Amino acid sequence: MSAVLTEIPRETKTADRDALSRVWRPRPGFTGWLSVTTHQQIGLRYIKTAFFFLLLGGVEALLMRLQLAFPNNTLLGPFRYNQIFTMHGTTMMFLFAVPMMEGVGVCLVPLMVGTRNVAFPRLNAFGYWMYLMGGIFFYSGVFTGSVTAAGWFAYTPLSGPQYSVGKGVDYWAQMITFTEISALCVAVELIVTILRMRAPGMSLNRLPLFCWSMLVQSAMIIFAMPAIVMASNFFLLNDRTIGTHLANPAEGGDPILYQHIFWFFGHPEVYIIFLPALGMVSMILEANTRRGIFGYPAVVLSLVGNGFVAFGLWVHHMFATGLPQLGEAYFTAASMMIAITSGVQIFCWIATIWTGRLRMTAAMHFVFGFLFIFVLGGMTGVMLASIPLDLQAHDTYFVVAHFHYVLIGGALFPLFGAFHHWFSKFTGRMIDERLGRISFWILFVGFNLTFFPMHLAGVNGMPRRVYTYPPEMGWQTDNLLSSIGALMIAIGGAVFIANALKSLRAGRVADADPWDSSTLEWAVPSPPPAWNFDNLPVVSSRYPLWIDPEERACVVGMRDDRREVLTTTVLDAAPHHRYVLPASSIWPFLTAVGLTIGLICAVFAFSGYWLASLLGLIGFIGWFWPPRHVEVEP
Amino acid sequence: MTQARVLDVSSLPPYEISNRSPLWAGQLLMCMIEGALFVILIATYFYLRLGVDVWPPPGTRIPGTLIPTLALIPLIASCVGSWIADEGAKSNSRGKMLWGSAINLAMAGVFLALRAVEWAGLNFRWNTDAHGSIVWDMLFLHTYDVVADLLVTAVLLAIVAIGRDGPKQRIGVHVDSVLWYFLVAIWIPMYVIIYWGPRLVGAGR
Repeated sequence: MSAVLTEIPRETKTADRDALSRVWRPRPGFTGWLSVTTHQQIGLRYIKTAFFFLLLGGVEALLMRLQLAFPNNTLLGPFRYNQIFTMHGTTMMFLFAVPMMEGVGVCLVPLMVGTRNVAFPRLNAFGYWMYLMGGIFFYSGVFTGSVTAAGWFAYTPLSGPQYSVGKGVDYWAQMITFTEISALCVAVELIVTILRMRAPGMSLNRLPLFCWSMLVQSAMIIFAMPAIVMASNFFLLNDRTIGTHLANPAEGGDPILYQHIFWFFGHPEVYIIFLPALGMVSMILEANTRRGIFGYPAVVLSLVGNGFVAFGLWVHHMFATGLPQLGEAYFTAASMMIAITSGVQIFCWIATIWTGRLRMTAAMHFVFGFLFIFVLGGMTGVMLASIPLDLQAHDTYFVVAHFHYVLIGGALFPLFGAFHHWFSKFTGRMIDERLGRISFWILFVGFNLTFFPMHLAGVNGMPRRVYTYPPEMGWQTDNLLSSIGALMIAIGGAVFIANALKSLRAGRVADADPWDSSTLEWAVPSPPPAWNFDNLPVVSSRYPLWIDPEERACVVGMRDDRREVLTTTVLDAAPHHRYVLPASSIWPFLTAVGLTIGLICAVFAFSGYWLASLLGLIGFIGWFWPPRHVEVEP
Repeated sequence: MTQARVLDVSSLPPYEISNRSPLWAGQLLMCMIEGALFVILIATYFYLRLGVDVWPPPGTRIPGTLIPTLALIPLIASCVGSWIADEGAKSNSRGKMLWGSAINLAMAGVFLALRAVEWAGLNFRWNTDAHGSIVWDMLFLHTYDVVADLLVTAVLLAIVAIGRDGPKQRIGVHVDSVLWYFLVAIWIPMYVIIYWGPRLVGAGR
């Protein structure tokens, strides 16, 4: 049996939209809302939740900047300050950046590859609920006084039972469990969606670059997240709750080993956040220069290269721990090597802009902002890869400046660009371009005003994680400028939010493809129906929307009366078999609730894991139990 | 133009029970996640082991090899049951699925019983020292995974037994066997490391 390309009269090809609508529409009511499994809805929930955590993390940052604006300030005490910078780092890394990127991936990947949903829709819903509950659980510590002050990487022995009393570190470590389950769910389903559910004809060398970046990022999650399970559950929680000794040197354990394992996750984590942003930049550039990315194979290979090299860098976070110098030298080389794979992409983007027909949308402003800021952050990164310089700059504000340049420049600016670029696709309204540009300039100036002076403060010796400083240190001006900049960022953020709300209510109604883009998500209405495509597309080019509409082909012969998708082969995307996705279900939500109850109990006693296992098992049985014998008829 | 170019897929099968099924790929990725965790546990074991002169620490008996070696027999035999169930899933044979899963469960049950006997004889616990922590972590995590997979197998057996074994459930039986092969395979190197490693390398120092 095989599928062949044929020609039929045009009017007979269209799928039955009413049937599709009946099959795909969510169930009504509150339980229907809890049961949603369509990727757009789940993806938007990820994005909204992550944005909320961005605001929380932003408020924490503002509190720190207010405290540091003047020497000997007494707004925050030392312990409170430590709690706030810990919350800030944790929130931004675990509750904002990764889930936000996952959310954008969940929203866009099925549309870009031309299918109806992710490969495992219930797993997708489950992952979101775990993330949400983990975030709520972590912040509930604020009300019970269980807030860790041990930094976002929770180094032992500071985070051990001796020096961090109370439950703050335990809350932190268990929050990691929630977010890692969520990230792993998304990684698994996106890999399978990208490799097995692409539109017929979308061979891997026609895969949109954003999907390539999500594929590499998901593979990185698969290998990096188990390390943080080890660090947070086995080292921290078990040492604290059942008296294991993995990080206890008195009984043969080793705190440096904790650092190795944490950073074996922690460094790839940075690229897990950063790679999707690179994919977004490539896509925004393609649409707004109206040409394909210059050097597509080089960009893809660089993304894959980034993914590999990122696992060989972790020791550069540990240069000051006194490891053997020969070993450290290897990590210097690897850290500098990542500049090659990142640099290749930057040169490809410059060539694309140079040879394309540039249209300066608000999204493009953010892309240029990204190029400027990220290149600066990359430069200081190469500097810090050198051990002698790192030993001087270690734990100073120079490092703080560096990683904010890389993370905000490398991830947040592309993300804001993506928000402006794809806003119309998911809301059906165009975002206000003028307000978008205004918010860009405020954010761009505010960002540099905040973080550039930190380089200078760091070079002048200001250490990280100090709650105040005496006036005679000479760090006053730099800190005051940083604090003014932080307020500017807050204003830029407010303009951004105002723009989103205004455009959502009164923006111009968007058509399917306002940017004349090349990829499949622009082939469907804005916002897309729950089933995405009436007829699944057939792809014959890397830029399927830039070929003559008359020449485009589509799939017929799919059943409209069930949630059917098409699986294709890994390399060539030749049609292989049809595949029925499960219906919406409340069980992913209930399973997440059960696991949450158990995991929270496990913070207080190890036996909580038995409860989590039992409730989880009940949840999974409900999830998989067939109500009757169901045959899948052709 | 009145003609539309279309790709007619109505002749393609509506499901697939093989390594081309999306669920198989998902299960493989789950095994990779679990495998990465085991590899990190093994790396931790050797890192801690290389940091000391005497391993296990004085006063700790090296775990005996007799029972864990005997336990390998039912463990590997359980794969035969898993394989029969898998073949039954592919050929839509309820009998094979039932018998295969039952053999799998029974053999794995013997394995777990032997493991319980072995644990009773260990003279160290997870809170004794770092050696105890890492060895128990490895034993516990593997056992936890084995028990979890057996519970899933039991649920699938129940589903097949009451006659609700549609294609989706048969894909479940198929990928369940993939997970089981993985859990058996990953145990072999861990068995060598935990039980033979301390005897073969640096014993008695």
